[in-house]
Amino acid sequence: MARKHSTAEDAQIDLTPMLDVTFIMLIFFIVTTSFVKEAGLDVRKPEAATTEPKVRASIMIAVSETGQVWMQKRQIELDAVRPLVEASKAENPEGSAMIIADRGAPAGVVIAVMDQARLGGVTDIAIAAQQQTQ
Amino acid sequence: MSKKTRASAEEADIDLTPMLDVTFIMLIFFIVTTSFAKEMGIDVNRPTASNTQMSEASKVVAILIKQNGEVQMEGRAIDLKAVRANVERARAEKPDASVIIAISKAAQTGVLVQVIDQVKEAGASNISVASTAD
Repeated sequence: MARKHSTAEDAQIDLTPMLDVTFIMLIFFIVTTSFVKEAGLDVRKPEAATTEPKVRASIMIAVSETGQVWMQKRQIELDAVRPLVEASKAENPEGSAMIIADRGAPAGVVIAVMDQARLGGVTDIAIAAQQQTQ
Repeated sequence: MSKKTRASAEEADIDLTPMLDVTFIMLIFFIVTTSFAKEMGIDVNRPTASNTQMSEASKVVAILIKQNGEVQMEGRAIDLKAVRANVERARAEKPDASVIIAISKAAQTGVLVQVIDQVKEAGASNISVASTAD
């Protein structure tokens, strides 16, 4: 009888280990979340053999085949790249820029975008490419 | 006295349910928003003013990409696939040389990426990209 009473008292499950695990997962996801701002344009990426993953890339600028510049899911003028990059840089100072250019995009536009991004304060700029299939 | 100690001992268990709710909701939010898709890309550098002064003509391997995608090195047209071999040969003569790729504004980005890729495969690390007016 007395033993049964003790089980009734122990009915409360100790939630501490679950809380520990949950908090560790929460911290992990908070730290790894980067909130990438998509460019909002699908392009045929050029192929390259020496691609490397860019983990810190958070500023996405897309250039279409016709030379249109897209950033944050809308088409923008070339002059608007710099202020937008500056704003993104202020939000995420460690983020690098990624130019997602179509393989047929005019190189002049891509290089102008690169210049604007550099003027906006981002020094780490990469051109998106897909791994070449050999 | 006895009542006070007993009551406080019994109420010492804080109800963790609301905190757990909030933690779980945050956890779910971060799990859903996290994207592990790593964008692949190749690094590019634009020549800056300081670097332009530094590079002497004798220590530069220049590659010119014309509007129609023709690749020129040292004044003669070369095949796109021969860029790597040519850069390797040029680097054997001038090991510290930096590579400058000058591309016509109207040329396609795909060609630029392929040339940068081949130059990287040739072992050059100091690559600069510039656009030409024509």
